[in-house]
Amino acid sequence: MALSQRQKDRIMDSLITVILFVIFIVMFYPFYYVLILSFNKGTDSLTGAIYFWPRAFTLENYERFLSDPHWYKAFIVSVVRTLSGTVLGVMFTSLVAYGLSHQNLLFRKTYFTIIIFAMYFSGGLIPYYVVLRSIGLLNSFGVYIIPSMLSTFFLLIAITFFRDIPGELKESAHIDGANEFVIFYKVILPVSMPLIATMSLFTGVGQWNSWLDSAYFVQSENLRTLAFRMMEVINKSNAPMDSIAIANSASAGVTSYSLQLAAMVISVLPIVCVYPFLQKYFVQGVMLGSVKG
Amino acid sequence: MALDSSVDRNIRFSKRRTQFFKQLKRQKVLHLFVGLGMIFLLIFAYTPMFGIIMAFKDYSISTGIKGIFTSEWVGFKHFNEFINDYRFGEIVRNTLALSFLKVLFTFPAPIILAILLSEAKNLRFKKVVQTVSYLPHFISWVVVAGIAFSFLSADIGMINKALMSLGIIDKPLDILTNADHFWGLAVGSAVWKEVGWWTIIFLAAIAGINPTLYEAAQIDGAGRLARIRHITFQGMKGTIVVVLILTIGSILGGGLVGSNFEQAFLFGNSINNSTSEIVQTYAFKVGLRDGRFSYAAAIDLIQSIISVILIFSSNYIAKRASGSSLF
Repeated sequence: MALSQRQKDRIMDSLITVILFVIFIVMFYPFYYVLILSFNKGTDSLTGAIYFWPRAFTLENYERFLSDPHWYKAFIVSVVRTLSGTVLGVMFTSLVAYGLSHQNLLFRKTYFTIIIFAMYFSGGLIPYYVVLRSIGLLNSFGVYIIPSMLSTFFLLIAITFFRDIPGELKESAHIDGANEFVIFYKVILPVSMPLIATMSLFTGVGQWNSWLDSAYFVQSENLRTLAFRMMEVINKSNAPMDSIAIANSASAGVTSYSLQLAAMVISVLPIVCVYPFLQKYFVQGVMLGSVKG
Repeated sequence: MALDSSVDRNIRFSKRRTQFFKQLKRQKVLHLFVGLGMIFLLIFAYTPMFGIIMAFKDYSISTGIKGIFTSEWVGFKHFNEFINDYRFGEIVRNTLALSFLKVLFTFPAPIILAILLSEAKNLRFKKVVQTVSYLPHFISWVVVAGIAFSFLSADIGMINKALMSLGIIDKPLDILTNADHFWGLAVGSAVWKEVGWWTIIFLAAIAGINPTLYEAAQIDGAGRLARIRHITFQGMKGTIVVVLILTIGSILGGGLVGSNFEQAFLFGNSINNSTSEIVQTYAFKVGLRDGRFSYAAAIDLIQSIISVILIFSSNYIAKRASGSSLF
């Protein structure tokens, strides 16, 4: 029995819809599951069989998160590093980019060579560690924000952007006697908001999610980031003997597992909040990934 | 005559020189801005690059930066030591296996998803699926590991509990703590996290295809699959090549999804160590944890050299094969 083209098309359409629906579930459900579990009583969650909504609804996990200094301190460190790291990084990168965006800048070629070379080659972790150590950044808050102040990728993006700003804008400010810093601050930045927004969003997400620097370069318990704290719990609970012990180290219905679920929701929440804004700049962001390779 | 022209040249030269200094003076603030950036790169990018010579020395951390230059040369001692390390074979195997498996699966996955999405008739549905699919890209690997734990853990993982209560299995699956499952776990979670993100770039390529091509093909009697094969796929080809070059160049870090280190670090544990230890985690452990800096730098350097060779050779091959290349 031969199928007509029409019927074939219809079968294919349903097939595609079914596959996409399965993909949707696989992508979405893990987030949903973590969310409902974080609102469920920790000791109750251990018995399993929670799939669609909390069985023993509670806010305990979040209350505990906010009252446990171990967690809320890490949360504050993450917030502060994200805000300061983003502002500092975006300002510094765009300031350097502004200088380089002048076509008639002397030594321009040399500067560019230096930047491109630094983009493709690196000394690796160990010498980098030695450098951070000898300039006193190790085990300090500065290690989160200073070494990431200049992003070579965003530098190139910003140079292209500033170069396309009409020269008359700068010239008229020059005639008014403004110096370069004032021009940058008062004339260039206000017309570069799309660029600043893109850089801020991607830098901010990176700062917020970052835990490797906390693992590599910091020993002080007061400087741990939220992502690092979650990593600690996960590393401990991956060892099979430990996971039951961790689950049982409960008090008043909260287990360290349920506490971690709350931490996960709290760490994903800001990203979901900026998600609509991030989406606007996605394609540019993919290019970011590909250049960084 | 000759004297004249040399005087002339001198005048012209000094004129040019004064002009040069005038320009420099006028640009002094700009040079200050750029100079700050250069100082930054000197400290955080170039000093570590020079520091790599410690791989050929017996460096001790207590001597600081200066020690990198003053410590004693030992040639290839640390490289030989790594090659003779009893774990060398295992670590290299894990690094290569993980890298190639990840590329094998994470490279085609977004191409397939992009084609599926472009074929979807309901635009609202397409948009929803796409929006959800790239959310995982923006969350930390730590959270992904946490999610994996809550689903797959042998004790409290949802999947194990559900399968056990349904009577499908009578012993929990030890996906997180079995050396045989680590590679699958790493590849699976990498696909989950990054497939949606890379789909964007392929969807952009599909969006650039002239729609009249599809109409013409339909009139010519081409079926759905034929159209996908001959139009959609052909239209994506250039993008596929560029992404493939980038992937192969960064293969040792995990291809375009990166993250080999983070996965090995987060999903690795004492039980699956025989398959989860890779060059990067090993360098991290012997270097920062055990304080064997020169040895770790040598291990790092081997990986970097292989990566650079891969970047240039994949670029060269792509240039030869298809005419498109990165540089």
